[in-house]
Amino acid sequence: MHILIVEDDQIARDYLAKALREAGHTVDVAVNGLEGLQLASSVALDLAIVDRMLPKLDGLALVQSLRATGRKTPVLILSALGEVDDRITGLRAGGDDYLTKPYHMSELLARIDALARRGDSGNSEANTKLKLADLELDRMTRRVTRNGKKIELTAREFQLLEFMMRHSGQVVTRTMLLEGVWDYHFDPQTNVIDVHISRLRQAIDKDFDKPLLHTVRGAGYSLREDE
Amino acid sequence: MVYSIAFALGAAALLGAVYFAVSQVVDGSTDNLIEAEVQGLHEQVLVLSRSDFIELIEQRSQDQDVRGAVYLMVDPQLRPVAGNVPAWPKIAANEGKWIQFKVSVPFGDETRDHEMRAQRFPLPGGYRMLVGHDVQERQDVKSLMMRGLIAAVVLTMLLGLGGGFWMGRRILAQAGAISAVAKQIMRGDLSQRLPVRDAEDEINTLAREINGMLDKIEQLTLGMRTVLDSAAHDLRTPLNRLQATAEAAMSQLAPASPERRVLERVTTEVDRMRSTLDALLRIALAETGTVAREPVDLSELVASMVELYAPVSEERGIRLESSVIPGVQVQGSRQLLAQALANLLDNAIKFTPEGGHIRVFLRQGSSGPEVIVEDDGPGIPADKREIVLGRRVRLDEARKLPGSGLGLSLVAAVTKLHGARLVLDDAGPGLRVALKF
Repeated sequence: MHILIVEDDQIARDYLAKALREAGHTVDVAVNGLEGLQLASSVALDLAIVDRMLPKLDGLALVQSLRATGRKTPVLILSALGEVDDRITGLRAGGDDYLTKPYHMSELLARIDALARRGDSGNSEANTKLKLADLELDRMTRRVTRNGKKIELTAREFQLLEFMMRHSGQVVTRTMLLEGVWDYHFDPQTNVIDVHISRLRQAIDKDFDKPLLHTVRGAGYSLREDE
Repeated sequence: MVYSIAFALGAAALLGAVYFAVSQVVDGSTDNLIEAEVQGLHEQVLVLSRSDFIELIEQRSQDQDVRGAVYLMVDPQLRPVAGNVPAWPKIAANEGKWIQFKVSVPFGDETRDHEMRAQRFPLPGGYRMLVGHDVQERQDVKSLMMRGLIAAVVLTMLLGLGGGFWMGRRILAQAGAISAVAKQIMRGDLSQRLPVRDAEDEINTLAREINGMLDKIEQLTLGMRTVLDSAAHDLRTPLNRLQATAEAAMSQLAPASPERRVLERVTTEVDRMRSTLDALLRIALAETGTVAREPVDLSELVASMVELYAPVSEERGIRLESSVIPGVQVQGSRQLLAQALANLLDNAIKFTPEGGHIRVFLRQGSSGPEVIVEDDGPGIPADKREIVLGRRVRLDEARKLPGSGLGLSLVAAVTKLHGARLVLDDAGPGLRVALKF
């Protein structure tokens, strides 16, 4: 992937660039908003990571200008602000995802992966039938089967599975699940998400040889067909 | 209302006084005329013969110049001898000096009873004399005036009431508008200003002064928000560098090396600082009231939070029960309300022993919707309930448990932001926390 980083904090920028390059991406960097906008408008990018507070041109203004010129490049906004409603402002300005500092690199990598692959996987928004190996989910009939056998799920488990299937093959973090499935943005002190996942795992993996729902240590979960 | 009645009464008193004075003058002038005539006739009767006196009376009776003057002379048997009154009025002899009686007088084709006012006096030889005046006109004037005055009083009262009502309405309308705006401002929309009319009356002056105050408050609040944002930025940026540096170093180290374990402790501390910072910033944000508000479906929120926490409590052997009435909406921040509820549920799970219960209610209280979280943990002693709402208070018994100690402070700040009341109570046993909207 070709990724642009617009970040004025040198330490954060260098580490981010290094980590992304190690993950196999092509990385461009810009140190202020104006430079960032010029690069984003002239280079064919797969993704942009934009700090919210930037010299010369504010991060939000950058995203707005980019969207105003019709560019649909996925943008992840990094913010060091107070959060809560800043997230809403960030997404309204045209950002596709929003992450507050300090963040774990694993969280950021999971999110850019999800952003970049949004729409191009076989399990995109438009599909009513999602499929992974022998696991099938029908959004219209709300029916889930594995190897042709019907699996009973609660409404929330269904949503959770749908989200996981949409991101199959990717790492999905707990906060991504809390945001994507419940629409909440906070860190619960209790391992609420883990318990929901383990119930889902019970439902879809228990009676089958090959597990599909995997725990990715230090990051989150992944629904995939191997190991 | 009271003012308009007082106003009408005042007007009635004033007009009554006018009526009284005018009647005095009108009555007095006729009475003086009659007195003078009686005086004159007394003198005449002494010098004139009876026939000359009769002649004089007849003459005066016919005199058209003296309009309304009436005379009657009767013999001892009360038969009329001279004058323009048909008969001696049937009035008791013991009446006072002045008498009033009615006489039919021609009025166009008909006759009409006219009010007469007169004095009687004896004449020599048992004859009697009556001298008076037609006061019908005077009566007419007086009753006309009375009617006019009553009409004036009624009109004044109506005007007073109407005017009072109108002014009252105007003031009430403005007060209503002010209170509506004040409510919006209390809910945190600091850009609102009280409606001000051009008038220089007290209420508008007051509204203008309050608006000036609001300008100041808005400035201060925005200033606080700016300070908060820069504080957030200045704390998050180094934390982010710390995290990045530690992660970068860790990636170079073998998974189980002692150095890596040290760095893992560093990142754990960064996480902890981050969640404390998040909590503090959210509290500060809620307290400055600068959070964006939107309609929040409280029923959906409570139900989904219960649903989110149900599996984890079940896993810990705690029964999470709930009863949620549908369709409750409040204005506020869904995320902050969710965070507050999450803190309460985290706490409840933390303090409820295995086999215990947690009950969550959304119900209609006496003043509005109430969210209640009850557990059967140790509860909080009554004398410490005030203290735990303060910042960073953790009771001794809780020190061994994880947490920042900011949970309830955040709940308190979020509750206040939503104009609700936070009530800690004994659930007997356990703690009952109620958010009363």
